[in-house]
Amino acid sequence: MIKLIFAVLLSWLLGASIYAATPREIIAKALLIEDSEEQAKLVTSLGDSDPQEVIALLTLWKEGGIFLNVDAAGAKVPVTLDEEKDGEGKQLAHRFDTGAAVGKLLASDLNAAETDSALRLAMKSVLDMAQLSSPDAKKRQEAVETMGSEQDPERLPALLARQTRETDSRVKRAIREAIALIQLKDENDAVKIAACNELGAIRSIPSQDALKAIVAEATAESKTNLANAAQLALNEIAKHVTFVNTAGTAFRGLSLGSILLVVAIGLAITFGLMGVINMAHGEMIAIGAYTTYVVQCVFGPGLELSPFGIHIALPGMNATGTLYNCYFVLALPLSFLTAALAGIALERGIIRFLYRRPLESLLATWGVSLVLQQLFRLTFGANNVQVSSPSWLSGNWTVNDVLFGWNRVFVIVFAVAIVFGVTMLLKKTPLGLLIRAVMQNRQMAACMGVRTERVNMLTFALGSGLAGLAGAFISQIGNVGPSLGQLYIVDCFMTVVVGGVGNLIGTVISALGIGMLDQSLQQILGNPVLGKILVLLGIILFLQWKPAGLFVTKSRSLEN
Amino acid sequence: MSRKQFIISAEGVNKSFDGFQAIRELTFYMDVGELRTVIGPNGAGKTTFLDLITGRTKPDEGKIDFMDAHDLTRMSEYEIYRLGIGRKFQTPTVYTDHTVHENLVLSLEGSRGVFRSLFSRLNSTERDRIEDILKTINLSAHSQRKAGALAHGQKQWLEIGMLLAQNARLLLVDEPAAGMTDEETAKTGDLLLSLAGDKHSILVIEHDMTFVRQISQGRKVTVLHQGHVLCEGPVDEVQNDERVLEVYLGRKARAA
Amino acid sequence: MKSNRNKIELIIVAIAAVILIVLLPALNAAGVVSNFTMSVWGKYLCYAILAISVDLLWGYTGLLSLGQSLFFALGGYMMGMHLMRMIGDLGQYKKPIPDFLVFLGWEQLPAFWVPFSSLVFSMLMVIALPAIVATGFGYLAFRSRIKGVYFSILTQALTYGAALMFFRNDMLLGGNNGFTDFKFLLGADVRAAGTQRGLFIATAIVLIAVYGFCRWLTTTKFGLVQRAVRDSETRVLFSGYAAANYKLFVFVICAIIAGVAGALYVPQVGIINPSEMQTDKSLEIIVWVAVGGRGTLLGPVVGAVVINALKSWATRAYPDLWLLMLGGLFILVVLFMPKGIVGLPAQIRGLLKRKQTPSALATDTAAATP
Ligand SMILES: Nc1ncnc2c1ncn2[C@@H]1O[C@H](COP(=O)(O)OP(=O)(O)OP(=O)(O)O)[C@@H](O)[C@H]1O
Ligand SMILES: [Mg+2]
Repeated sequence: MIKLIFAVLLSWLLGASIYAATPREIIAKALLIEDSEEQAKLVTSLGDSDPQEVIALLTLWKEGGIFLNVDAAGAKVPVTLDEEKDGEGKQLAHRFDTGAAVGKLLASDLNAAETDSALRLAMKSVLDMAQLSSPDAKKRQEAVETMGSEQDPERLPALLARQTRETDSRVKRAIREAIALIQLKDENDAVKIAACNELGAIRSIPSQDALKAIVAEATAESKTNLANAAQLALNEIAKHVTFVNTAGTAFRGLSLGSILLVVAIGLAITFGLMGVINMAHGEMIAIGAYTTYVVQCVFGPGLELSPFGIHIALPGMNATGTLYNCYFVLALPLSFLTAALAGIALERGIIRFLYRRPLESLLATWGVSLVLQQLFRLTFGANNVQVSSPSWLSGNWTVNDVLFGWNRVFVIVFAVAIVFGVTMLLKKTPLGLLIRAVMQNRQMAACMGVRTERVNMLTFALGSGLAGLAGAFISQIGNVGPSLGQLYIVDCFMTVVVGGVGNLIGTVISALGIGMLDQSLQQILGNPVLGKILVLLGIILFLQWKPAGLFVTKSRSLEN
Repeated sequence: MSRKQFIISAEGVNKSFDGFQAIRELTFYMDVGELRTVIGPNGAGKTTFLDLITGRTKPDEGKIDFMDAHDLTRMSEYEIYRLGIGRKFQTPTVYTDHTVHENLVLSLEGSRGVFRSLFSRLNSTERDRIEDILKTINLSAHSQRKAGALAHGQKQWLEIGMLLAQNARLLLVDEPAAGMTDEETAKTGDLLLSLAGDKHSILVIEHDMTFVRQISQGRKVTVLHQGHVLCEGPVDEVQNDERVLEVYLGRKARAA
Repeated sequence: MKSNRNKIELIIVAIAAVILIVLLPALNAAGVVSNFTMSVWGKYLCYAILAISVDLLWGYTGLLSLGQSLFFALGGYMMGMHLMRMIGDLGQYKKPIPDFLVFLGWEQLPAFWVPFSSLVFSMLMVIALPAIVATGFGYLAFRSRIKGVYFSILTQALTYGAALMFFRNDMLLGGNNGFTDFKFLLGADVRAAGTQRGLFIATAIVLIAVYGFCRWLTTTKFGLVQRAVRDSETRVLFSGYAAANYKLFVFVICAIIAGVAGALYVPQVGIINPSEMQTDKSLEIIVWVAVGGRGTLLGPVVGAVVINALKSWATRAYPDLWLLMLGGLFILVVLFMPKGIVGLPAQIRGLLKRKQTPSALATDTAAATP
């Protein structure tokens, strides 16, 4: 009884004095107390202080970074030492409580402040609590998740305490999960069963292993109730996993489809509408990607290139933060522009001589593709260059365990925008009208006074520009290197051929279809290469059924 | 039930291109050994009808039988050809990079198999036959020239020669007189007339009414309009038919 | 005039045959021609065979296949498998199975490897595998009337897919390292000068035989149909030929020729890996044919030798610029020299003629040149 009163009194006293005390002061006090039980109490009382500071200071103590120095007066003073050592190996010491320097000391002369098990236990739970009260919900969630995965019953109190205060729904769920996971280690079967049910109810994917272990253990000890409960939970979770995988696959398929669409839409115009086989289409994509890289470098540290021994130095703006993040906004139109200009050069220089000879335009443009690849290599080096994503493209959302990467979401939005833009351009603008007229009947259009040469050039520029735009994108999700284009060219052609030449809707559908199929096969087979091969095979078989692609544009001449 | 055998019988044939109905409920019978002329304004669907017979396009609906036995709508171009149906295209289509002689060799009746083609050599009867045809089409002097180098009219003749070489049971001839001189046109007419008989049935499409008159000689003429048979009968009768005057000659008169 | 040119070509080929089959090997045995020269030329001859096959497809039938490198590599792999078996237990692991299989944890030879111990079986496979793949793919492609650039694109996809497959280790064909370090062929050391000379002679004989076969093929009625298919495939159908069958036949024949070329190539260069079957290789062969002159049988041979000689020189002298040269050359040839090197005299003659027709001189010069 007396002890109890004393304890209450003491805590009241301490409480009153602590009210104004900083964590540093409290710890300084604790350091000087001999009785480890009292030390533990003081440490426990840190639970309400600024978690960041508490974590830093307690970690320092735990790891032996605080020493007890005996000053001239014979009083013990807790000190910390600077990193720097002088010639004799002495380090500058500071008082722990005030930070005032107390002269140079030899670490080996000092005793580190000790901790015993009771104290460490108290520290751990305070540290846990501190981590659990981090202002950043993401950090809290992580802390909770590690605690859950460790299944350490000693963490239960901290979690339970946090549970009553937590407001963030994700963290709340994580805490439920962690508590249930820890409770799986409980002595009492009833608690275990309840925990199983809980895990099943929240469809906790990370707990599958723990639950499997429970099933095995319970079956071995013939505890049918527990085994059943765990199995039921596992079934629930398995269902959920299937859902997550399906949704994830669908999303990835959609985004892959969008990528295909973005890279292929330029080809759908040059190949589909104009009938030009541009094997350098992939390199047009690469031009866009490299343009993005150059823009990024100009916003950042600048860039030095030396193609053919000519030294070119682009000064950098060394921009940071928001301005740097904006580089991509500028890179998009520039990528379009450079690729479109390259396209114009290609069309004027080579392709216009080969409109009636598609096989030969295939060959000549392959030559161009070789030349361009080598030029990239000579200018930017044979290795991949680093293009960093702006921060607004590099996060992700997790909804119901399904991961949505922002760049993937963005590519979908972007694909929609491009298709919309191109459709509008073709349907609603004078240029679009001319393009369609020339593509339908070149001679007729020429007779009506359309300058078909110019329309060809602009159409090709549009297709190439779109490829460049795609390149800007690719730079955000994949490597940028001299052979970047080669990676996509086969996919591009497949997409356009399956969609049916001369038909944008066909291209859209085929891109999404191929993307979905690819990702589904990858999910089912667990192997991207095999999936890809099967997709190619699928395409060949598909063309048996519809040789002209999904949407057929008929032509009357005997030889088409 | 003693019906004469039809070389071609088409019933209820429909074909549309992207929503445009080129052939509409077409029903057409032609007897074995008949020489039939089909006329009709531009875009009436005459060439399309030949496309349907030769398997170049497939009908949406309807059936087209050959000799009351073979359903042509289910066969591919070369199978139809092998039944003995030959065709001369509206715009002359010959193998431009082959010589005139080679064009005829390619068209000569006989095996079409891959392995046979490896070891087949022209025998003397075949060589004579090619010589004959060359004489008939008046290209003997040009037999070693590339077909692509011939004049338009000569290409027409070459294509007719290829048709002859095939020795088809049914000849489909699309505007043979286009690009020919009057004299040549008359000669073409004579040639077709001499061929017509039990061995060969001939379907001719033509715009040139003089030519039509020459070859029909009171035989049946079919008028096609908007993918449909407008009327059939001897040329004089047809030419005075109200509907024909309206849609075909009337239009022509107005244009003139 | 034409038969005249044919005669000249025959004489050239006969002389070349004597040089390649008899003279060069004899000079090599006598030590006049170096082993290095022989091995370089042996490689060129393999390429020449390959180039003829591409030309038979492209120049004569109008099928621009980007799959010939695949068939070449398939033939090479079949031969490579035999050579790998002939290493016996002399590999690094001293095991009776190929090193890479040991590396992948195999104790015993996988079943499909077993028959490759026999050279006869391997040689049969050199022919059979390309033929089977070509028949399967060709049947599907031609049946659905895929032609022109679509055919090119589809063969590109086929080759791309196959390369992806061969890059995988679990194909048990050596993954991206492929096969190398060959030791024996027919009991003799493959690297020995004598063996290499034998392979050279064999390659030269095959080249002449393939040339002769193609020459014969193109003069038959088959050749007529083949060219007709190239110029106007649809018209061919209306002459009663099943164009698909003709194309399939050529496609399979060319696959076999390419496979044989690959099988001769592998023991001479001592390595085969999936990079040989990438589409870029296919396009490179097409460059040879285009530069040499397509639609002729001498053209591809000339092109293969010229371009590869150029490549050997340029990759040593100007390694950075080689691809620029190759690409640039190709563009120029496609634009300005559609008939290639072999067609150059005729092209020049044509140009001269066009410029000088009014003068009496023209007929003289034209008559004077053969
Ligand atoms: N493959 C096709 N695709 C689209 N439309 C077609 C096709 N073939 C024919 N048509 C259309 O069908 C109609 C009939 O054409 P067809 O060539 O059969 O007429 P025609 O009677 O032969 O005319 P002409 O006397 O000018 O030769 C035309 O309007 C044509 O545009
Ligand atoms: Mg017509």
